Amino acid sequence: MPPVTANGADLKAAIQKYIADNKVMMFSKSYCPFCKKIKDLFNSLNLTYTALELDQIENGGDLQNALHELSGQKTVPNVYIKQEHIGGCDDTLKLHADAKLLPMVSESTTTYDYDLIVIGGGSGGLAASKEAGKLGKKVLVCDFVKPSPIGTTWGLGGTCVNVGCIPKKLMHQAALLGHSIDDSRKFGWEVSEGVKHNWNTMKDAIQGHIGSLNWGYRVALRDKDVKYENAYAEFVDPHTIKTVNRRGKENTATAERFLVAVGMRPRYPDIPGAKEYGITSDDLFSLPYCPGKTLVVGASYVALECAGFLRGVGLDTTVMVRSILLRGFDQQMAEKVGEYMEKGGMKFIRGCVPTKVERLEEGQPGKLRVTGVQDGKEVVWEGNTILFGIGRDAVTEGIHLEKAGVKFNTKNGKVYGNDEEQTNQPHIYAIGDVLEGKLELTPVAIQAGRLLAQRLYGGAKAKTDYVNVPTTVFTPLEYGACGLSEEDAIAKYGEDNIEVYHSNFMPLEWTVPGYDPNDCYAKVICNRQDNERVVGFHVLGPNAGEITQGYGAAMKCGMTKAQLDTTIGIHPTNAEIFTTLDITKGSGEDPTKTGC
Amino acid sequence: MIHFRVECPAHVWLKRLRPDQAPGKIMVVSVKVEGLSAFLEAVEKHKGKTIFALFTGSHDAQGKSWCPDCVSADPVVEECVKGAPEDAVFITCSVGDRATWKDQTNDFRTHDKLKLTSVPTLMRWGTPQRLMEEDCAKSNLVSMLFEED
Repeated sequence: MPPVTANGADLKAAIQKYIADNKVMMFSKSYCPFCKKIKDLFNSLNLTYTALELDQIENGGDLQNALHELSGQKTVPNVYIKQEHIGGCDDTLKLHADAKLLPMVSESTTTYDYDLIVIGGGSGGLAASKEAGKLGKKVLVCDFVKPSPIGTTWGLGGTCVNVGCIPKKLMHQAALLGHSIDDSRKFGWEVSEGVKHNWNTMKDAIQGHIGSLNWGYRVALRDKDVKYENAYAEFVDPHTIKTVNRRGKENTATAERFLVAVGMRPRYPDIPGAKEYGITSDDLFSLPYCPGKTLVVGASYVALECAGFLRGVGLDTTVMVRSILLRGFDQQMAEKVGEYMEKGGMKFIRGCVPTKVERLEEGQPGKLRVTGVQDGKEVVWEGNTILFGIGRDAVTEGIHLEKAGVKFNTKNGKVYGNDEEQTNQPHIYAIGDVLEGKLELTPVAIQAGRLLAQRLYGGAKAKTDYVNVPTTVFTPLEYGACGLSEEDAIAKYGEDNIEVYHSNFMPLEWTVPGYDPNDCYAKVICNRQDNERVVGFHVLGPNAGEITQGYGAAMKCGMTKAQLDTTIGIHPTNAEIFTTLDITKGSGEDPTKTGC
Repeated sequence: MIHFRVECPAHVWLKRLRPDQAPGKIMVVSVKVEGLSAFLEAVEKHKGKTIFALFTGSHDAQGKSWCPDCVSADPVVEECVKGAPEDAVFITCSVGDRATWKDQTNDFRTHDKLKLTSVPTLMRWGTPQRLMEEDCAKSNLVSMLFEED
């Protein structure tokens, strides 16, 4: 037999094709007695099967290695039934002894319109559907954006692309550029003092980029023969959905499996005027006018990021915070994020919640009055725009999960899933923000979607690893984190069992403009019981996202403090601070810089 | 086929397809131009309509194109353009010979509204919707560009 294909990646694809194309697939060796046993079994049951004899093809060894990586099984026979990995000789015999082999092989009597229907065309849904399409499956993606209370809507791609990561990072960049213009004067650029920012120029350019991403997703789906419907899908029964498009046209479709990836939308407080006059991150990035003087309500990362860039493009911005900043994140870091924002002219109203929003004047922007209550006293803010960043809710309410028998958290609408993103209904899966207890991050959803499709249709085994996921908050001074917050590390290991190394640091670039040498801060949390393995990584500084990504990879490899110490820094960078952390929090020594 | 010359100084040709090519349907107006300024004039002339543009390598004296991807795209685009909205204008713009196109400073590559990186490029003018190279020969993608907004 000729070799199956050339390189490793292709080999895996070739194996996956064998698994996908053959209902009963067995990787075998012609002389192997265990393989013969299984062939005899299949023959006695009159089962049609396909056996690939690895000893009779030129690169059988490579293929066996690739198969090992894919299935986690080294030996033959290696049996797959309907793309599900069964295992070796004993596993297959046991399956038969348990009377599960024949039912598994027997044809299902129902035929469905699709192999997979994905509800939600965000990062997770698109990743899963493209992967399933690539593996030859018939896939439908339904994506529909219900307009925000003020009527904002957008195209294919979900929150990240349209009203999340992408526009916020670009607006953050707009803010950083403004800061750089100031710095540049110290570096010799004779920039005139009257430099102004134009909201619409920024907004149009960003929306233009988003438009090309929306189009790119449609092309990618079409290219992989995935059907896309711009329609709202809801379950009718466990295998059927009803879709309604924007013209009100209804359709039904059935599928063998479903993926719920509907994501979340911003929450509004239940106070007068909130929905009538307020906006959220859903509206901000395409707002057709400069929001002017703005009140941001909430201290979620969404709230602080939006407030940060609004202030950064020169707007009078106030953040109204009920209690703590960045709930769920390391609180020492969160407070430092807030302190830096305050230095940059951000106003904070702490311990305060809004009670009503009134419109004083119509316009773009109009004029609003917001009343709040702080320590039992009334607080009044007047300005142009109020933006709510008080949290997000899973949008499962309208999709009638109950008609499909899917269990979900009735409080927050999130769907319960196991470690393979499977719901209580074995043929219905959920990924992304909508999955209860998991991280709300685009790259996590993408990974989960891809791996899920590979497990369902490509014979793969790998599950998404939700541990040590790096992330970054793009506040004016960025905050990158990976692993545990100090609070969580203490809760998990006990205060005596962790060691925290920390240091302030000053970017070299900050010396010339003469900024505060102690705004930036680095901290690693180590488990003393485990070789000082780093269990939490935190950095506050410029480009924290870029720093955190690399250290995130190291943490995946089990980085210890000693390994950090033997790593040689790149000079002069900010990231190098992590190679020279020698002050422990426990020592009480001062981690601040006092100049050279 | 009725050919007639437009009052445009550049080599702008306007072609109306015969009604029998798609019974009962008004056909897309098809325009052929060469060079950037002629293209921009054609766009200006049809302002307000849905404009599709195909940027393609030019043909030599023997009628042969230097751009193989353009050749494979042509029949696909020609077929799919029939599905375009009735008021649409389809401009085919030749970007010149290979040497002209490969010059990294050429107008098509640098013009703010074009920033072409490859030929063929098929686009819905004024939107981010564009297809490039071998994608222009995939009828499922080309028809999506013409038919859905």
